[in-house]
This record gives sequence, C-alpha cells and structure tokens, in this order.
Amino acid sequence: MKPRILLIEDDPQIRRFLRTSLGVQGYELIEAGTGTEGLAVAASQVPDVVVLDLGLPDLEGIEVIRRLREWSTMPIIILSARGQERDKVANLDAGADDYLTKPFGMAELLARIRVALRRKLPAEEGKPVAVFTLGDLKVDFDRRRVFRGQEEIHLTPIEYKLLSVLIKYRGKVVTHSQLLKEVWGPAYTGQNPYLRIFILNLRRKLEEDPTRPYYLITEPGVGYRLRDE
Amino acid sequence: MEQEPNREPTFPVPPGQKSARPESWLVCVSPSPLSHTLIRAIHRLAEAQQARWYALYVETPAHARLLPEDQERVSQTLRLASQLGAQAVKVSGFRIGDEILAFARERQVSRIFVGKPYQRRWRRYFGASLVDYLIWNCGPIDVYAISGEPEEAKPVKTPWPKPRPQWANYVMAWIGVALCTALAFVLFPYLRLTSVAMMYLFTVVIISSSLGRGPAVLSSFFSVVLTYFFFVPEYYSFVLANTEYAITLAVMLVASILISGLTARTRYQAKVARQQERQAAALFEMSQNLTARYSLDDLLWEAAAQISRIFQGRAAILLPDPGGLLNLRAGDPISDFNVTEKLVAGWVFRHGHLAGAGTGTLPNVKGIYLPLKSSRQVIGALRLEISSSDRQLDSESLRLLEALANQVALAIEREELVTKAQTAQVQMEAEKMRNILLSTVSHDLRTPLTVIAGSASSLLEGEDHLDGPTKHEFIQTIYEEAKRLDRVVHNLLEMSRLQSEEFKLHSEWHVLEEIIGCALAQLDSQPHDQQAHISLPADLPLVKMDALLMERVFVNLLENAVKHTPAGTPIDISCRIEGKDLQVEVADQGPGLPVGQEEKIFEKFYQVWPGRTRGAGLGLTICRSVIEAHGGRIWAENRPGGGTAFRFNLPLEEESPLDEYLPDEAAHPAH
Repeated sequence: MKPRILLIEDDPQIRRFLRTSLGVQGYELIEAGTGTEGLAVAASQVPDVVVLDLGLPDLEGIEVIRRLREWSTMPIIILSARGQERDKVANLDAGADDYLTKPFGMAELLARIRVALRRKLPAEEGKPVAVFTLGDLKVDFDRRRVFRGQEEIHLTPIEYKLLSVLIKYRGKVVTHSQLLKEVWGPAYTGQNPYLRIFILNLRRKLEEDPTRPYYLITEPGVGYRLRDE
Repeated sequence: MEQEPNREPTFPVPPGQKSARPESWLVCVSPSPLSHTLIRAIHRLAEAQQARWYALYVETPAHARLLPEDQERVSQTLRLASQLGAQAVKVSGFRIGDEILAFARERQVSRIFVGKPYQRRWRRYFGASLVDYLIWNCGPIDVYAISGEPEEAKPVKTPWPKPRPQWANYVMAWIGVALCTALAFVLFPYLRLTSVAMMYLFTVVIISSSLGRGPAVLSSFFSVVLTYFFFVPEYYSFVLANTEYAITLAVMLVASILISGLTARTRYQAKVARQQERQAAALFEMSQNLTARYSLDDLLWEAAAQISRIFQGRAAILLPDPGGLLNLRAGDPISDFNVTEKLVAGWVFRHGHLAGAGTGTLPNVKGIYLPLKSSRQVIGALRLEISSSDRQLDSESLRLLEALANQVALAIEREELVTKAQTAQVQMEAEKMRNILLSTVSHDLRTPLTVIAGSASSLLEGEDHLDGPTKHEFIQTIYEEAKRLDRVVHNLLEMSRLQSEEFKLHSEWHVLEEIIGCALAQLDSQPHDQQAHISLPADLPLVKMDALLMERVFVNLLENAVKHTPAGTPIDISCRIEGKDLQVEVADQGPGLPVGQEEKIFEKFYQVWPGRTRGAGLGLTICRSVIEAHGGRIWAENRPGGGTAFRFNLPLEEESPLDEYLPDEAAHPAH
C-alpha cells in the first residue's frame, strides 16, 4: 500500500507541485487548504505523515500541531519560511518532528518523509541496532566502541552518549534543548554553549574536516542532525 | 514730558530717502493712554500707505518715577505696536526731543507722529512743548501732532520712587554739610573764602554721586546759606560786607546745582547701562544655550531652567496638546495648577497678551504668564512664579522676561522648522531609496525570472525533440536561477529586518567554527570554482553573537569573494585574537578594489562595476549592519599581494561561560 501523506497548505501552486512530485515518487497525497480542514482530514483518513505549512490563513501552525498531538503521534513535517528560526524551535517543541525551509528541494523533502516513515514503524523504533554504520563511521553499541574506517576513536562518556542520541534520531533534527535533556538531564536545558563545545569536540574526532562537517550537520538556530545516508 | 531746547544744528535728511523704498514713519510713545489710540491710528495709515513704521519710547530718568500702571502702559503700547507690525524701540536718554530726532535721522524717517501732549501751564507759557521742539528742529521731516482727550492724557507722577527711603538720604546730606561746616570752621583761620567754597563743592559732589540729585540740590542750597552766614564777612550775619561776595556765592550756588545735575545724570546712565548689560548678557546666554540644544525637550528644559535662574523663581513652559489644551511641557512643576491658573494660561495663549500675578490682567494667580509668540502665531505660554511675597516684577525685569520669552518662542519655532525640514529630508531620502530599491530589485528579480521562464517554456515546447543533455541543461539553469532568486529575496528580507524597529540581536555563546561551517555549507550548494581555506586557532574562545546573522555575514562575504574573483583562486578565512577583540578576515586573490572604494562598497545598492556582476548590492551593507549591531567594525582593504581582504572585529566579552559550563566529565557518566 502506498504511504499516505497529508499536505496542509493553502497555496494551490505548491499543492500542485507536491502532488505531481510525490505522486511520481509513489506516495498518495491527501490535500487540505486550511488548518481546520487539515485537522478533520487527519482524523478521518489517518495519514502516515503530515506535511504542514506554517502560513495558514485560519490557524497558527503551532495550534494545528497541538491539536494533532492531542490524539496522535503521526509524524509532522513543517514547512516554514526563512527567518522563522524561533518559530521552528517552538513548533518542534510543540511536537513537530522535522522542518523544511522554503524554498526546498524535492530530495530534501523525500529524505524527511523517508525518515519520518521509518520512525513510524514500530519495529525500528525502540529496538536498538547492535552496530550502526554510516559512511566510514561505525558504532558498536554492544561493546561501546566507535570506529572511523579501521581506526578506533576514543570518545568520552558524554560524547558517546551524545552520539548515540543523535544516532537514535538519525536523519531527523534534534533541537538543542532535546539533546541537552537527553544527554545531560532536564536541568541542563538552555545551556546551549555547553552543547556546542561537545559537538565541536565530537566533530574534531569524527569528521575529516570539522569546518565542513559531513556527519554532524548544524541546523542553524535549531539544533543538530545526523546525516541519514 | 520734559525737554530742553536743543542747540545742535539739524542735518537735512539724505536725498536717498525719497526713493522708491517704502516710507518710514516714527510714532512717539508716551505713558499716556492716548498712545494706544495713536498707535492704532498710525497702524491703519501705515497699512494703507504700506509704510514701515517705528514706535519709539524715550526712557528718561523720569520714567522711574512713573506710576507702575503708567510703566506697564508703556510696555503694553510697545507690545501693541509690535503686534501691529511696527518695530518697537525703547531708547534711554535725557532729552526726549533729541533722542527722537536722532533716531529719526538714523532710520531716515520721513514722518514723525506725536500725541498732542498734556502740558503744565507754566511750560505752555514758556512755549517749550515737545511738539514745538520737534517742529523747530526736525528739518525736512514732517511732524504730525495728533490730539486726544486731555483729562485722559494726563500722566500722573508719583512724587518719588517708593523703594528708596528718601528721608534717610536727606538726613545723610544734612550730616555731610554739617561735617563740612565743622571742618571749615576749624580750618577757617588758615583758609580763604574760595577754599571754603571748594570744600563745600567737594561735599556736594560726594553727596550727589552717592545720594542722588535731590539731596545734592538741597545740600547745595544749605552750603551756600551756611557759607553766607559763617564765612562771609560780616560773619554770623546775612549782611554782605562786599558785593563781590554776592558773586562768589551765586557762582557757588550755580556750580553746585550744575554738579548735582551732572553727577545724577552720570549715575542714571551708569544704572541704565548696568541694566542693559544684564539684559544683554541674559539674552546672549539664552540664545547661546538654546542654539546648542539638539531636541525640543532639551531646549525647553534649558530655557525654563535659565529663566528660573535669572529671576530666582519657578519657570515653566506650557505647550498645547493636540486638543489645544495647555500642558506643562518643561520646567518646574506647578505646585497648584488649579482651574484659575489654567484659565489664565489659556487666556494668555488665546489672546497673546501677558497676564497673571503683578500685571493689570487677571492678577489673582501665583504665576505671571507670557505668551510665546513665534513669527506667525502664539505657540504656548511661559509661566514664572516669583518667590518674593508680592509676586511682582519691576518693569525692567518684565521687559527682560518678555525678551527671553520671545527668544524661547523663536527657538521653539526654529526647532520645529528644523524637525519639519528633517522629516521632509528623511522622506525624500526614503523616497529615493524606495526608487533605487524598486529599480534594483525589479532588475534583480526579473533577470533570473526571465531565465527561468525562458528555460521552462523551451522545455515545454521542445518536449518531444530535445535530447536528454539539453533538457538537463535547461533544468539545471532553472534550478540555479531559482536559488539565486531566493538569495536576493533573502538578503532583501534580512535588510528590512535589520532596519526594522523591532530588530534585536539574539546573542548566544557560539563556536565560530560551526558558524563558518554553516556558511560554507550554503556556499557549497552553489556552483563555484573557488576553494575556501580556513585557518582558525584551535583554542578560540566562545564568542557571544547572533549565529544566524553572523552566518549571513560569512555567506555574503564568501559570495562576494566568489563573484569578484576568477575561478580557481582560493579564498582564505582566518581569525585571531587582537587585544580584546576577535579579528576575522575573509580574503580573496581577485583584482582588488579600486582605490577610494573601500568605504563605498558598504553602502546600500552600491556596486563597484555596475552591470558586470549580479546582485542587489545589499550583501556588504548587511554585513556592516550586523557587525555594527554586534558592537564591531568591518572594513575592506587591498592585500599587498593582490586581492581584497574583508576584516571585521568583534569585541570579546570578558567572561566566557565555559568555566561554569564545563564541569568534570566524570560527574556525568554516560549511562
């Protein structure tokens, strides 16, 4: 069965473009032009992924996310305009899974959808893989060892924890506060500089060129993302 | 009014006076209420004939002895005249007639108007009225005497100015003469009569210079009488042994009276000069202070403070709100600004006349209110509350206060005009900016749109016969141009956000490396052939900055370098600590900047080679705005080996958060 994607977007041209592009990629697209309609469709048709535009005429994007989250855990990808970084963080904190900044490339959207669909599968989530590989990077969770190519990399306990949280959410953006909470504990939310230093150190150990990171991607103003494939 | 015959020859008015220029008239103002009528009449005449006119008051020593009402009336008359378009002038002098004529000649006045004055009967017999005097001496100037009701016109004089305890002066004069007599008595055996007379004259000089004219005249008489009695043979009697003595005594009397008069005159002139100097100094200081102010509020506060200082009172400036109600705008708070005070303030504002305490109008309030009159209208009111018990100002001070109020009004008006001019200037600039923006933006938007639309239509039309690589070429072009469009829009948005009033930095402690990384990631998504080399010290501290904006700085600097350098040349990003600053450099090996353009490139929409490169010319402007918002500085210079280096400084804050954030790792073991 084709995965069903609900697109809540008021602009008909963007709907048309996504309908065509996603249709070609083998997805079924359900469309809604307003937030209210989108909520109704989400309840009646239960899509696999929701793609939500933030500039809706009737409801604030964050309101739609909150109402969806009241009864569902379905992945939500938000589409935002430039310069709304603070909105993005608020929306992600409210329960959105990921975001895309307009204008976006189709490849990016497809990647987000793939990650969202994968996380939706119960088999994938919660069940840690024994060995994670990404490019040259290899993490052996059983023995808590990290390799780049053949060379073993020595990580501090926090660096290891940080890396494993990012692996858990691989491909998906993880906000600063979420990372701080999961690695250091709730008392550390807001201590972003702390996180930045550890990311820097991690990059220096993992990346070939830390100024052009390949694995650990910065999402400016929002958080970090581990490259998916 | 008093005047003395003039012995000076009169000079004919220069012939140039009868040219096409408007005639000048002179109206003589007196304390009489008739002057009001006179002023109004002349105003009508002058309007009809389009003549320039002066209203002149000659202030003589007698002015000080006038009743306060009369003094006030003079001020009112002069004010009325200036409201009606005359130039109101007050001069000080002794001989009214001479002063009037001197003024008239100086200003090339063609007609003099005088009220037909009240004359004391004996004066009339002597025939020396002001009108007569003017007529005899005016030369080619026409003199008009205008009549009024005599009983109204009669000026009343107070016998002597009140504040001075005159009797004390007379007693002092008495004592002086007595002392002189005693001394003369002792020395008489060794002196001749002329020496004694000299001693008395000397005493009169001292008395007249210190005690005033009246005591001096009195002591002159007593000196002569005492000399006559004690020192002129026959001694101790009023019998003259020789008629020659009569001449001596007569000369002595005349001389001492003349001396009294001259000394008193000098004293008066000195007093007038002092007052005028005080006024001039106050006005000068006020004008100095008011010109140096930058805002209206500054100006008002300064003016109020200064007026408070000069008059040792509480000054306040009231300006109307949009609804036309006067409100306290600057100065000392009015302790009891009740309905009456408000009423008086409102009346002053509406009518443009002074009123309040110590004036003839609405005196039952604590403050004196003066209208602030600009060249066109009354723009507010000045309130002065004097600490003294009777809350009165003497006429001199009132005049000074009026002059100050005028200055304040003019300063306010000037300030308002400046503000208006600035607003207009800003609007013009904004208009100009908008036009430039529109033309640049439409060009910058239209170019990629043209390419996109063209490529897309080619694809649509040539769907069947275009081969794969060509189609790909078109698609690639569309994609790249769309990206470019996005960057232009992004910069425009960024610019408008940086300039909006709500803009504020969201600074956090950041790792510079990460920000440069983000910028490079953006740059790498665009096609370019330049290689960026980054060299950063490993122990770079955290820097407090707005990451998203700093990323824009790097993106713009890098894009700028890519745009202006040949393919294959490297771009170097480096960074070092310079004292308390972090200095970052983005340097290319391109052609460099033309000399003298190092500053201009940061201006909005400026392009070194218009048409050669693409972009709205906003990138560097954004860089500058961002860096300056961070308290830093950005500049460009040519590198010695060729190419351009953009450098910027960011102030490093003393305290890095790391100490508090970097606890021992072991304390937080991974689970």
